[in-house]
Amino acid sequence: MSVSLQSEAIDVAAEYAQLVGDSPGAAVATFTGYVRNHSDAHAVTELELEHYPEMARKVLENLGQSAAERFGLSNWRIVHRFGRLAVSETIVWVGAVADHRGEAISACDLMMDTLKTDAPFWKREQGPAGGQWVANRDSDTERRARWQSGDVQ
Amino acid sequence: MSITIKLFSALREALGESEFELDLSDVSEASAQIDVAAIKALLSQRGAEWKEALNQPNLVHALNHNVVFTDAAVSEGDELAFFPPMTGG
Repeated sequence: MSVSLQSEAIDVAAEYAQLVGDSPGAAVATFTGYVRNHSDAHAVTELELEHYPEMARKVLENLGQSAAERFGLSNWRIVHRFGRLAVSETIVWVGAVADHRGEAISACDLMMDTLKTDAPFWKREQGPAGGQWVANRDSDTERRARWQSGDVQ
Repeated sequence: MSITIKLFSALREALGESEFELDLSDVSEASAQIDVAAIKALLSQRGAEWKEALNQPNLVHALNHNVVFTDAAVSEGDELAFFPPMTGG
């Protein structure tokens, strides 16, 4: 039940082993996000992630705790990177351990939907035409809102 | 009275500052309560680029690491951050 903010690559196998090893449960779900080589119509060669360290840690810890309460998790973990990231590198990893698959999968979904709009990270894409800050997407805001409107349980 | 101002992302880049102390002695003597809107108004006096950046419709304000509306009251030693919508994950 912890958060890591780190500049180094995420060791997905080690994270998984630790998540499950700490607290074996009947259902384990994880999500891994990677840097894409394109954004809409343009190419991306590198991503820079700025963050607000103290607030990011607080938001992600609260998020993990609220997911644990809502879905009865026996363990959870959120890992988010910052700094310069190359294409195909890991950006984010979340994991949840529960009694049943529905709770574990929903917990990962909730953590991802919420962290995209609520955790203070900002992406800046580098491409052949230069750098630009990534704009927030309405689809992300809509996905985030589902969890408050009762559309998903 | 003073508070810490932090700026992130495109806002930090546009204004060329990431963190500074803001002295509010003059303002705090004049009014009983200072809110985020008052701080925005004060900083907007620094120039056109400040006024434009701090009055974007989607600007986010975080007071001591919690997202707040502009009517949130500010106290001595607080940390007030301004930034665009977040795009992590």
